[in-house]
Amino acid sequence: MKAAPALAACVAAAALLLPLPWLSVAPNRLLPGEPLSALAALGWLVAPPCLLLGLPALDRVPPTVAAALALAAALLLLVLTGGAAAERLQGLPPAARAGLGIGLWLALVAALVLAAIRMQPLALATRALLVAAALAALLAAASSGAFDALSLAVEYRNRADAVQAALLRHVALATAALLLALLVAAPLAWAGFRHPRLAGPVGAVFAGVQVVPGLALFALLIPLLAALLHAVPALRDLGLAAIGPAPAVIATAAYLTLPLWRGLSAGLAAADPAAVAAAHAIGMGEARITREVRLPLALPVFAAGLRVALVQAIGLVTLGGLVGAGGLGALVFEGLAQFATDLMLLGAIPIVLLALLADGLVRSAETRLAVAA
Amino acid sequence: MIAFEDVVVRFGATTALDGVSLQVGAGELCALVGPSGSGKTTLMRLVNRLVTPHAGRVLVRGEDIARTDAPALRRSIGYAMQSVGLFPHRTVAQNIGTVPRLLGWDRTRIARRVTELLGLLRLDAALADRLPGALSGGQAQRVGIARALAADPDILLMDEPFGAVDPITRRELRAELRRIHAETRKTILLVTHDPEEALELGTHVVVLRDGRIVADGPPAEIIGPGSDAFARDLLGGGQPALRRLSLLPATEALDATPPPPGAPELPEEASLADALSLMAETGQDRVALAGQDGSVAVATVLRPGA
Repeated sequence: MKAAPALAACVAAAALLLPLPWLSVAPNRLLPGEPLSALAALGWLVAPPCLLLGLPALDRVPPTVAAALALAAALLLLVLTGGAAAERLQGLPPAARAGLGIGLWLALVAALVLAAIRMQPLALATRALLVAAALAALLAAASSGAFDALSLAVEYRNRADAVQAALLRHVALATAALLLALLVAAPLAWAGFRHPRLAGPVGAVFAGVQVVPGLALFALLIPLLAALLHAVPALRDLGLAAIGPAPAVIATAAYLTLPLWRGLSAGLAAADPAAVAAAHAIGMGEARITREVRLPLALPVFAAGLRVALVQAIGLVTLGGLVGAGGLGALVFEGLAQFATDLMLLGAIPIVLLALLADGLVRSAETRLAVAA
Repeated sequence: MIAFEDVVVRFGATTALDGVSLQVGAGELCALVGPSGSGKTTLMRLVNRLVTPHAGRVLVRGEDIARTDAPALRRSIGYAMQSVGLFPHRTVAQNIGTVPRLLGWDRTRIARRVTELLGLLRLDAALADRLPGALSGGQAQRVGIARALAADPDILLMDEPFGAVDPITRRELRAELRRIHAETRKTILLVTHDPEEALELGTHVVVLRDGRIVADGPPAEIIGPGSDAFARDLLGGGQPALRRLSLLPATEALDATPPPPGAPELPEEASLADALSLMAETGQDRVALAGQDGSVAVATVLRPGA
């Protein structure tokens, strides 16, 4: 039994068996509820998920089976809790809510970590297949109404349109910030590559931005943009405004320039000098050398910088919720303001999932590029 | 084929070449040899305009190259170097086909040429689809030479092409180059710091020192008694006369006297050094030469060309 899977399984089991709040039943969505432990909420039904979580920690269980069992355990926990919640809410007024407690979250995360650890040796296709199967099962359970009684699902039902719109907005904002940062970082990386003396100052400026606290930069941009729009009113006609998406995209982009610039610079320097010299000597022009030799060799290195920037973008755009840009951040901050945990989670969970998804996608592209080079 | 006229090259404050004039005839394998910093690589890099002269001019195929288009000139001249510089993201076949592709050859013609070159360089055809990372040092060097030869240039520049391979592979590659030169009669400029390589491969050897040519001629001549002392010292390895004998064919010392009965016989391709070695080994002062009527006497061996 290896240490990491065993630890994950133990954490999950502890969350199930110790008296941690698992489910809490409250009179409405804002008031705190009365916490119940897993044993109190599920009764003897804690046994099957415990078993499902124990097996994947054993070395003898093959990785595919182990990962599938861990994922099944996570799903089973949710379904059982959904059932328990429905039971508890019976006879209570419609405003009553059954919220998820820290114990359940802990058990879920531990189960997913366990699945992730055991999936590591598997081929990319197998992993994708397992995750897809788990997601399909989750959706099937959701559409059959297994989670309908859970507070988070109630909150989502009430705000489905807003959440979907916020998700799209979030992706759009992050993409815009990434493109803007690329527009700034790419020419400067090229300039620094051609004239190495420029690289130092450019790097210092980009690194300097990182020192400014995120919230401060977002806030600072509002008066700055307002002043700019006052000075050049024509910008207003282009759709630029002092609050809303503009400051969010600009501030996020400012933070992305450093990882992008670093990735591009390292990528350009990655080309074997001998290959570049040979390309030159057999009659390739500068533009062709860049297109056919430097860029293809730079891609795997650049992808690493892109991955960092993309994950940062998804996280940072959340702050856009504070400057009127919308996105999932707006849900998080609205939830914070109302003290409505479910609303906060409704914003926060998709942000985490988006970041994980982006990271996974670029990482797999990276591996493929590195193999090709 | 290539002519340098009073060429001066400076890099900052240092003078790399100081008034160099040299003629390289068509079909010659001209070995540029000299210590590090003598300017041999710079001299070669002038030919395809990787270096621009500060004074003097360079003529290739009778044309002043300052007036030609540099990329077009480079595509018309093969180039192979010590660090090979294969493109790591392209297959062996794509690497070899680079210049033909730049010249706009069609796919089938490129594919045919690649197959031809893999054969010429004795590379396994199965290597064509591999990436350079999967090749041994010797194979990579062969692919580099194949890439240089791809568009069938009449001039080939080689910058220490065998510098980074092990001695056995190096000997194989040298033999390969000699064969390719004999088969294709290309004009080859070879930069080397290995005197033995220069003497073995060159039909024309140029010795450089501190940016000047100190000696220039056929190998046996450049190491002969009348040649420059530095050149003899560099190339002779302490025994210039013996080196010279190894460069001259035994037929040089052949006279009409029939070989005495029981005299040992030299193989047809033997050098004067081989003749001397055989005499020292057998104690005979006259030996026979296979395929020849006369014989070789020790007195003539010691005074070749006299």
